[in-house]
Amino acid sequence: MKLSLLACVLAIALLPSAAPSYAHHGTAGYDMEKVITVKGKVTEFDWVNPHCVIYVDAKDDNGDVQHWALELGAPQHMIRSGWSKNSIKVGDDIAAETHPAKNGAPVGTTGMQSSVLKVIVNGVPLTTK
Amino acid sequence: MRNMALLIALFGSAMASPMLYSQSAAAQGAAVASGAGMKSAAGAQVPDLSRNWGPGGKTVNNWFPDDPRGQHPEKAPMTPWAEAKFKTAHPPFGADATFEAINDPVQNYCDPPGVSRIYLYPWEFKFIQTPDTVYILYEYTKMWRAIPLNKEHSKDPDSTWLGESVGKYDGDALVIDTIGFNDKTWLDHLGHPHSEALHLIERFRRIDNKTLELQMTVDDPKAYTKTFTGTKTFKASDSPLGEGICSMSESQEFQKRVIDLSTTGKSQK
Repeated sequence: MKLSLLACVLAIALLPSAAPSYAHHGTAGYDMEKVITVKGKVTEFDWVNPHCVIYVDAKDDNGDVQHWALELGAPQHMIRSGWSKNSIKVGDDIAAETHPAKNGAPVGTTGMQSSVLKVIVNGVPLTTK
Repeated sequence: MRNMALLIALFGSAMASPMLYSQSAAAQGAAVASGAGMKSAAGAQVPDLSRNWGPGGKTVNNWFPDDPRGQHPEKAPMTPWAEAKFKTAHPPFGADATFEAINDPVQNYCDPPGVSRIYLYPWEFKFIQTPDTVYILYEYTKMWRAIPLNKEHSKDPDSTWLGESVGKYDGDALVIDTIGFNDKTWLDHLGHPHSEALHLIERFRRIDNKTLELQMTVDDPKAYTKTFTGTKTFKASDSPLGEGICSMSESQEFQKRVIDLSTTGKSQK
């Protein structure tokens, strides 16, 4: 499986009670039945509409770097979830759960509003309301 | 600029009117908490809706009461005219949605979401009640409406994005009647169309201290074979309204760097 390039592939079936993520562009391109964990170094953290994005350089099993984009909610939605523009900084070590793209590209949605997935920054989990 | 004009108008109105309803600040705070005690300039009791409201009830993706989540959007009571338009719509939501096909005017062009659809987004809105006008400030796209109370519609209103609204209080409800729409917006997240004959009735009431109910009645004989009413609830919020501006440049950047990755496998940056 190609996604094994990352340290962890969890493939967790989502609980039926999990609130569906909302993205203004929908979630059609993502495999919402699967959750993987992307581990690496943050290269950018965009705190803008329509969606905040964490860009991560993650090494695969061969040591090659792959550049990931992890989509979040809009800044206002992330603020209501307890985040701020300073929650993540360039250079941080990150382990972020995400629903990966169906086509295997290094992009995923890490959650919106009240359904943000688990994100660990420099060993400390980010608190989400 | 437009927002500044609104703020000036609101501030002026607040300073000049016998508002509200002649309550002390403390009493007004209590009224907001309890949803009771507000009176019109004429002394009649009116429902107090003046606060922020946000998502919190069940998911509603369209206003058809038999299928509020929009799991069978093709079963809506559409006329042949509406069915033909519906088939050309490729919304971001639904079982058949793909990123490549989306032609949602809000997403692709930052068009205004329209009156019926704006409430389906997970953003907040706020009522500001004055004796002669109710203002609604929407967080998403920074849209606002001014609804004059106890007025008649004009005889031949222009066709506009938000239509021509008039409002009145009916017992414990605020009722807003709107006509004069253009036909450029979608009725909902699933791409159901409407015509310029669209007539919307929004009926807002507090069903408890922390919950607002909206009944949305859709009447559009050119597009639908019958009138229908959907219901959505909202939770009271103490969070300030934020910036939900839709910017084409930001949207295009997001498209190039993120969405294109999941369609072509390549980012354009």
